[in-house]
Amino acid sequence: MVVRRFSRGVLLAVVAVLVLSPVGARGGPLEVMQGSEIFTPPSDSEIPKGPFGDLVRKGERIFTQTGRFARHYVGNDLTCESCHLDRGRKPYAAPLWGAYVLYPRFRSKNHMVNKLDERIQGCFRFSMNGTPPPVTSETMKALIAYSFWMSRGAPVGVKLKGQGMLSLPKPASSPSVLRGKKVYVARCALCHGMHGQGRTSHGGQVFPPVWGKRSYNKGAGLFKVSKLAGFVKMNMPLSKGDTLTDQESWDVAAYVDSQPRPAKPRKRSRS
Amino acid sequence: MKTTFSALFLAAGIIAIPGPSGAASLMDWGRHVAKAGNGKPGGTACMECHRLDGGGMPSIGAPRISGQPRQYIAREIREVKEGKRYGPVMAGVVQNLSPRDIRAVALYYSRAKSPKLPDVGPSDPALVAEGKHIATRGFWKKNIPACVQCHGPNGYGVPPLFPYIAGQNRTYLLRQLMAYAFLKRQDDPEGLMRGIARRLTMAQRKAVAEYFSSLKPPVRDVP
Ligand code: HEC
Ligand code: HEC
Ligand code: HEC
Ligand code: HEC
Repeated sequence: MVVRRFSRGVLLAVVAVLVLSPVGARGGPLEVMQGSEIFTPPSDSEIPKGPFGDLVRKGERIFTQTGRFARHYVGNDLTCESCHLDRGRKPYAAPLWGAYVLYPRFRSKNHMVNKLDERIQGCFRFSMNGTPPPVTSETMKALIAYSFWMSRGAPVGVKLKGQGMLSLPKPASSPSVLRGKKVYVARCALCHGMHGQGRTSHGGQVFPPVWGKRSYNKGAGLFKVSKLAGFVKMNMPLSKGDTLTDQESWDVAAYVDSQPRPAKPRKRSRS
Repeated sequence: MKTTFSALFLAAGIIAIPGPSGAASLMDWGRHVAKAGNGKPGGTACMECHRLDGGGMPSIGAPRISGQPRQYIAREIREVKEGKRYGPVMAGVVQNLSPRDIRAVALYYSRAKSPKLPDVGPSDPALVAEGKHIATRGFWKKNIPACVQCHGPNGYGVPPLFPYIAGQNRTYLLRQLMAYAFLKRQDDPEGLMRGIARRLTMAQRKAVAEYFSSLKPPVRDVP
């Protein structure tokens, strides 16, 4: 299903990889996922010197080590990168370059910036089970600068391939928690643990918790089975995206989201 | 059962060498096998290649194993024995190890301590830098996550099944990457390492081997 979207050249490459590999390759076509059709954000070496570049780098640090650099706003053991893989660059993991241009109607800079602020605040409240940083905070400014930088050169006003998460077609049979548990044990527990607790090494979190007190709360985007199914399909097991069937992705998403996690925080008026 | 155990315990106590079954503590027996083999025909002492403290032998590409997770060490030996893990050298020395011998050496070496032993020849700073980039950032264009995402910060490992790779010798690291990519090391969980090793280029494999071998090995943090 993903294959269809690749150009013929890429397809040939995929076939070559599969045929030439001596061992039955389990990795799917995603092995060459970032084909020429997918937007490539500017590389690190292009980050300019000076205050803007500094802000971009700061944004990246917050994004990848959120608990360390934005401690006050974080209420669990995740980082932004836990879901927005490859430092917010990976297609189909809601990449920042896709986010920035998602709101093309907000042409005037301020307006566009405000909209993104709110989206980021949402991820802090729900996905990070924390407190949203104020729009004027250094944390927010740095994250906005980082997103802005990453979208440099991205066409505005068109739907970019790899933007957001994949929306998976409805499965043949309705998602089953029971079947999902089997998939979880076979394909996920190695890293996320039998109890969804994740794993640490030398005191630091390596594999993030997928449920329980230290994971995302019930207001988060991934608490929707369809969203989680799309995320899992393209990104999990890590480095083995697109190896679960659609049905397995739905089932395992149903299982993960049936497990306990923090409640959705009560509505609050925002200024 | 209990009486047999204590009888053996007594016997072992009297002659004061660790016996092969319940008698000596698992730890003592592990050390004995490491030092002198298990006493059966064809039994080889692990220390001939891995040293008594588990530091390995960089010159022949025998890996350091001190401080690897107990479960990982035991798993690798079992898999070599069953022919599932590619280990041309190990295959010749583990055939007569009993399940208890394996548990014992795994316990012993998981607790052993050794400094990093120098690799043969100097390391190449340019390769180290390239390796560091892949190790900490990945090479996502080919769907390769940062090595540290699975092997833990600094490559210190994530017990029980993700071994540390920091401070491992360069020759061994490169050989394993080749074995996953092209040879018969095919028992890695979910095929994770095979996929990654295959997608790396030859130059990248060299670079990451160079980088991780340039680091200090971890000081153990798990019981
Ligand atoms: C538990 C997973 C998770 C975490 C952690 C997380 N997000 Fe998100 N984020 C999502 C999901 C799901 C979406 C919605 C994507 C969609 O609708 O396709 C999203 C959307 C976004 C968007 C809009 C992009 C888009 O394509 O809609 C931005 C910007 C964003 N997140 C920033 C952040 C930042 C900054 C952090 C860290 C403070 C963060 N996220 C942490 C899951 C997460
Ligand atoms: C090889 C290890 C590995 C396996 C196997 C794996 N994951 Fe993950 N998973 C990760 C890592 C690492 C991250 C965080 C990514 C990052 O920080 O770059 C993650 C992130 C996630 C997240 C978002 C963050 C969170 O904690 O909520 C979810 C949900 C998730 N994985 C679900 C799954 C499911 C479902 C499976 C099985 C189909 C699976 N994973 C298999 C390593 C793995
Ligand atoms: C003749 C040399 C030799 C002897 C003796 C030997 N090994 Fe090995 N060992 C190796 C080599 C070389 C490898 C790498 C795999 C291969 O090429 O077979 C290895 C691999 C291993 C590994 C896997 C390490 C990893 O990181 O995956 C473990 C564990 C191990 N040996 C334990 C032992 C134990 C325990 C003994 C004693 C019972 C032992 N070895 C005896 C040479 C030896
Ligand atoms: C998606 C998770 C994952 C990633 C990313 C990953 N590894 Fe591994 N690696 C593993 C697992 C699991 C094992 C243990 C496999 C086994 O038991 O054979 C392993 C084993 C290894 C070994 C063999 C160690 C030994 O003692 O025998 C080496 C070497 C290695 N990895 C190097 C790397 C390098 C270099 C990178 C980055 C380019 C990397 N790995 C990235 C999961 C990963």
